[in-house]
Amino acid sequence: MGRLNGRPIVYMSSAMLETFNFRVIFEYLPLFWSCFLATLWLSAAGLLGSLLVGTLACGLRISRFKLLAWIAGVYIESIRSTPLLVQLFFFYFGLPSLGFRMSESATGILALTLNSGAYMAEIVRAGIQSISHGQVEAAVSSGLNYLQRMRHIILPQAIGVTLPPLLGQAIVLVKDSALLSLISLSELTRAGQIMTSERFMPAEGFLTSALFYLIIYYILKGLTHWSQKRLIYMQT
Amino acid sequence: MWSFYIEQLIHSLPFFLKGLWMTIAVSGLSLLAGTAIGFIWGILRASRSRFVKPLIGAWVDVVRGTPFLVQVFIIFFLLPEFGIQLEAFPAAVIALTNLAACFICEIVAAGIQAVPSGQMEAATSTGLNALQQLRYVILPQSMRIILPPLVGQFVLLIKDSSVVSAIGVMDVTRVGWLTVQRVPQGLLVFGLVAVLYFVICYPLIRISNSMEKRMSAGVTLNKM
Amino acid sequence: MIEFRDVHKWFGELHVLKGINLKVDPAEVLVVCGPSGSGKSTLIRCINRLEPIQKGALIVDTMKVHESKTNMTRLRAEIGFVFQQFNLYPHMTALQNVTLAPMKVRKTAKKEAEDQGRYVLEKVGLGDKLHQYPAQLSGGQQQRVAIARGLCMRPKIMLFDEPTSALDPEMINEVLEVMRNLAREGMTMIVVTHEMGFAREVAHRVAFMDFGELMEIAPPREFFAHPKSERTKLFLSKILTH
Repeated sequence: MGRLNGRPIVYMSSAMLETFNFRVIFEYLPLFWSCFLATLWLSAAGLLGSLLVGTLACGLRISRFKLLAWIAGVYIESIRSTPLLVQLFFFYFGLPSLGFRMSESATGILALTLNSGAYMAEIVRAGIQSISHGQVEAAVSSGLNYLQRMRHIILPQAIGVTLPPLLGQAIVLVKDSALLSLISLSELTRAGQIMTSERFMPAEGFLTSALFYLIIYYILKGLTHWSQKRLIYMQT
Repeated sequence: MWSFYIEQLIHSLPFFLKGLWMTIAVSGLSLLAGTAIGFIWGILRASRSRFVKPLIGAWVDVVRGTPFLVQVFIIFFLLPEFGIQLEAFPAAVIALTNLAACFICEIVAAGIQAVPSGQMEAATSTGLNALQQLRYVILPQSMRIILPPLVGQFVLLIKDSSVVSAIGVMDVTRVGWLTVQRVPQGLLVFGLVAVLYFVICYPLIRISNSMEKRMSAGVTLNKM
Repeated sequence: MIEFRDVHKWFGELHVLKGINLKVDPAEVLVVCGPSGSGKSTLIRCINRLEPIQKGALIVDTMKVHESKTNMTRLRAEIGFVFQQFNLYPHMTALQNVTLAPMKVRKTAKKEAEDQGRYVLEKVGLGDKLHQYPAQLSGGQQQRVAIARGLCMRPKIMLFDEPTSALDPEMINEVLEVMRNLAREGMTMIVVTHEMGFAREVAHRVAFMDFGELMEIAPPREFFAHPKSERTKLFLSKILTH
């Protein structure tokens, strides 16, 4: 393959290297770095928040109180049937009209949390269901109390099952947080936009953003593989 | 006050329906093209090819690893630098088609790999060629595995199509964004936008769920 | 009909066939036995190149299987193959299972293929199960459909890879009966099996494989009465006692 395809690829990349302005990228690197950290903390906040919301929604969904279960169901279905961007604008333009004033980052995290929470509910449910009744019975009959059962038997198994989809949801959150750039939050995609508008260098700007996203993606993907392997080991 | 805004919204309803039509056009075209390309890529990805398989895998990784918004910006702003000037609409369709193809490719490859290898061996040993094996033996069996997540994926892609409003495609999200500048009632305006998406997506989610139930129930009986 | 000349096969580092020399005549029935992992399944899977060989020559019906340019699709149509796990197509009825290859490979008209399919299914005793799906059939019935699927191509050779190993004991005989009839009609057959009763009664020769080598090959009477190698004796003593 090298001889036939090598030449045009080399030409193309060298042409790109000539037009690609690395100096400007270096100039903007501090901006990208701070925006990279912003993307990380926004998605981390969304992940934590949605874990709480998702657990709550899951708890309500399977509760005996019909009304609460119904409310949780409406929440989950309506989030899943509408785009995150529309939800984001709903809060961004809607809350002020009700008299709530929130910062952009608070609005962004709120939207990410509520959106991701609806998917998290499913992950939590699968985690709970993965523990067989026999495990609980075995733990009870060996005399463990509720806290001990949770700590030593239930949670370790539930976390093992939940970890791979949780990491998958983390990948989704990192990518979803890009939409927060549209309400002018400073994060990775916004950095690309800033560079595009200030210097008109969309190539350098957005490809650098993409590169940072890919770094996060490959790390999370690696962790996912590791956790899946651990899970298989645990189940055999 | 509210009734005034509601009246204004009702007046701009044709505008919203036009936007909805644009959303359907962008997603419909991309889903059609993306499904076709996704099936071809998926079949190649499940094959034994040494060259094409890792190539598709790497591309799928890049697309799955970056936000769709960034992909849309790259296609819209970057291609002109290579002399390809694109309007917002074709740029949006290209970006969404590529995204669809990458996700569907993974679903198709998984579906094909889920068919036991003995099926392929049996088909081989009766003298069917590779295309015939795929068409008569492998794909009919994979389809039951592929279809439920495929419909679920359609929902995700229709929702993702809202992102192309950022480059100015007049879809229903963009219409909402323009309207909210005139009618400063975000809850009403984007509530309406949300309802319009819900009307399309919710039935599809239900279809996907019921297909999943039916397929998993039919595994042992195997009646098609 | 089938000729192995110093055939070698590796799976990565693992040497699974170590210089096989073997000749099978037309209308001959050869039974191959041996412990699991001895290479006996690989041996017959090489014949229609489900597994490619790395060294030596393998000639089937004048076609050179070891040469990569040989049109295997044409040769495979001449060889029926029956798997341990049946491998019936679960989304097709018994009749559809047996008519697929004749219609697509031989381009037989649908009507003709179905007549042929009905005839063959009746021959294996399943004339009343034409429109059943595999999941609705018992293991023995499924395996008979699988044999019919091979026969429907009017093959010159039939290969059987442990056809009764996945069956409940009470179903083994119905499958062996079909195979006996085939042998009587003069089909060239290679059967990998542990059914020594079948070997004694039907086989013209019995071969014993171990560690990728053909240890011993002889007519059944001689094979069972006077096994030459120690390993054959050991193997026979193990499987004949139960």
